Order: sequence, then C-alpha cells, then structure tokens
Amino acid sequence: MVDRPLDERDLVSRAKRGDHAAYASLVEMHQTIAFRTAWLITRSAAEAEEAAQDAFVKAYRALGRFRDGAPFRPWVLAIVANESRNRVVASQRRERLTLRAAEERRPGGAVPSPEAALLERETRTELVDAVERLPDRDRLVIACRYFLGLSEAETAAALDCRRGTVKSRLSRAVARLRDQMGEGL
Amino acid sequence: MRDLDRDLGVIAVELAYPPTPPLAAAVQRELGVVPDRARPHRPRHAPHRRPLRVAVIAAVVVLLLAATAVAASRAVREFLGLQGATVERVPGELPTRPPAREPDLGVRVPLATAERAAGFGVLVPGRVGAPDDVRLRRQTPGAEVALLYEPRRGLPRSERTGLGLLVTEFRGDMNPQYLRKIAGQATVVERLTVGGQRAIWIEGAPHLFFYSGPDGRFVVRPLRLAANVLLIERGDLLVRLEGEFGRDAAVRLGESLR
Repeated sequence: MVDRPLDERDLVSRAKRGDHAAYASLVEMHQTIAFRTAWLITRSAAEAEEAAQDAFVKAYRALGRFRDGAPFRPWVLAIVANESRNRVVASQRRERLTLRAAEERRPGGAVPSPEAALLERETRTELVDAVERLPDRDRLVIACRYFLGLSEAETAAALDCRRGTVKSRLSRAVARLRDQMGEGL
Repeated sequence: MRDLDRDLGVIAVELAYPPTPPLAAAVQRELGVVPDRARPHRPRHAPHRRPLRVAVIAAVVVLLLAATAVAASRAVREFLGLQGATVERVPGELPTRPPAREPDLGVRVPLATAERAAGFGVLVPGRVGAPDDVRLRRQTPGAEVALLYEPRRGLPRSERTGLGLLVTEFRGDMNPQYLRKIAGQATVVERLTVGGQRAIWIEGAPHLFFYSGPDGRFVVRPLRLAANVLLIERGDLLVRLEGEFGRDAAVRLGESLR
C-alpha cells in the first residue's frame, strides 16, 4: 500500500476526532496565510504572531462546530482576522508595507536592465505608498484580494462582510487608488 | 493608463512580509498535546467543560478568601508593600485545598519580541542563564514577561508551577497595586535588601496571590496558590521569582539579575 498525502478534508475529519498530528498539519498548511493576514491587519509582527497562534487554538476548540466538507481556510481566516482586529492598537506605530530588496526577488527569472529595474521599483514603491495612504477599509480589501490572493468568499470571511460588499468595496478602493496615482480621468 | 491589476499582482510577489513564525508547535503546546518539559502539568479536560470548571473553582476560592478576609478584619493584620505589590498577612490559615490550575502566563514568544512588546529590558538571572521558555501577557497594563526554567540541580520542581524557576516582570510604577498576596500565620514574610534593592521574601505555607484590574478591583482569573517567592524592586520593574528553593538561593538568583 502506498501512502498518499492527506487532503484537507481528511485532516479536518481526523482533527475533529482528536488527532492532534492532523491538526498540526492543518496549522502548517495555513500558518503563512494566517500570519500574513494577521500582519496586514495589525501591522505588528508580534501582534500578528499572537493573533494567529490564538486563532488556531480557538479554531481547534471550535472544530466541533465546523461543518463537514466546508473549506477550512476561510473559516480559520475569519477567526484570525477577528483576533487581529481585537489587537489593533490605535496608538501603536505601524510596520509599513515595503518591497523586498531586488536581490531577494526574481529567483531564477529574467534579470531586467538596471535602468528598467530602477524604474519598475520606483513605480511600485509609489503604488505601495498610495495603498498605504488609503483608508483602512480600502487598504484591507486590496490587501486581501491582491496581496494575499484570497478569493471573494475568503475576503468576505476575513473582513466579516458579504461577497457583494467585497466587490463594491474593491471597486471603490481601486478607483481611489487610481485617483491617488493621478489617473482619475 | 497603467495596468493597476498587473502592478498590484507584482507587488503581492515582492512584498516584504515578516518571516512566518513556526506556529504549529506553539499551538500544540498551547493545547497541551505535545510534551513540553517547561510547561506546568495541565490536567486534561474536555475543552468545552474547562471554562466552567475553572469558573466554579475560582468562585469557591473567592468565597473562602472572603471568609478569611472577614475573619482577619477583626484581628491585627500585617502589611508589607513594594511598588507593584502588597503582601498582607492575616491571622489563621488559608484554604488547604488550592485550585488546581496552572499560572496564566500569556503567549509563548521569543525574548526579543517580549522586550519589544513590553517596552522594557527584561532582566535575566545570570546564575541560571537563558530561560527555557518566554511568555508575554498583554492583559497586564504595560505587559508582563515570564521566564520559565525547567527543574534542574538547585531548582527543584515546584508542584504548583511544574517549573524549577518562574520569573515574572512588569512595570511596578504603572501598577502600584497590581499584585496582592495574602499569607497565613504559617507563612514567613520577611523584608530584605537584594542587590541594594527593596525586596520581600515569602516562604513556607502556600499563600494566595491575585492581580488587580485596571479599575483597581481584584480579578479572579489568575488566582492561585504560590510556592516560595522573592519580590524585588528593580527601578521601575517589579521582579518576582517563584520556586521551591530557599531564601539564600533566591537571593543569589535575585542578585544575578542582569
């Protein structure tokens, strides 16, 4: 008999029966997206770590209420986002969005000319700065959909709103971003 | 017009996120399902029953505590105070059946993270070196950092914490009445000077300690019985060393705080 990788439903099912190793596998599968979601909300690595850790603990304790066959990721991201919102401190200095250094990017990819790389980087840095200037609501919907690559359903779960609200909010956020970048017309 | 969709997609790949911490092991430890030599023993209960059980135990102990306090009000009490803690010795003895629960020490974090979050330099007892585990409790105003040490030679295992040494630190100046201890007559309460700093040594029969909330009222949740304890003022910090060691060993540990 050949071992096969367990899929998420198997892992959830086993975790619900008290299989702690299965739950550890689920945490490992989703810890990066959970931590990044928490960081984009709290803008503090320390707060994000606590929020994500506490969220996974709470999710485990709530597994009995998790509907069999439902996707695990949006469910746990909703808990992560809720934990993260509870930890946002208004007076806290926010860690800013930045781009990785050029040498950390494009692993194995084509190397642009120095001039092109500089131009691209300046352009993208401007865009990142424009995203940072957006109101929280707009910034978070852009972060969920573009930066984290969450689906509409996952974004709705993370932002605690309806899918239709995600669409309309994203549309307005992108329009505001274009305004910020001087492309309103 | 620029292609915002494309640019935002590129940014997604190039964003510099903080490195993802390894959460699976920490979550397993929080759930008490993997061996953690530094973690106090936690009785296993069905998770949904635990809050109720803890609440019932806490309520019983509060009633016993109230009875003790009422009895004590008719007799002479003894108060000792530091910035951040008061110790009250009352006539008679305290309840003999303590609530069986672990200390609420907060979440597991690296020491550097704890220092950054708490905003103060954490003092580490040089005699025993780096801790086996570090916890951060944000519910404490100004945050509280706990250093956990496994039992070892010279640091016998405490039945109450499961540890050889538990060091907790918080800003006493921000929480002048934060810790309150009630000790019976069988408990030694002694004022000391450790490294030129004011200190209090509490030894013998277990004593109750609990925290005050931001509004000054005592909160029930962390109520528990403690082992031998040395409390030391170090500038703005109140440092608490708890374990089954004797006074001289505690003083040596306290003097090695750096």
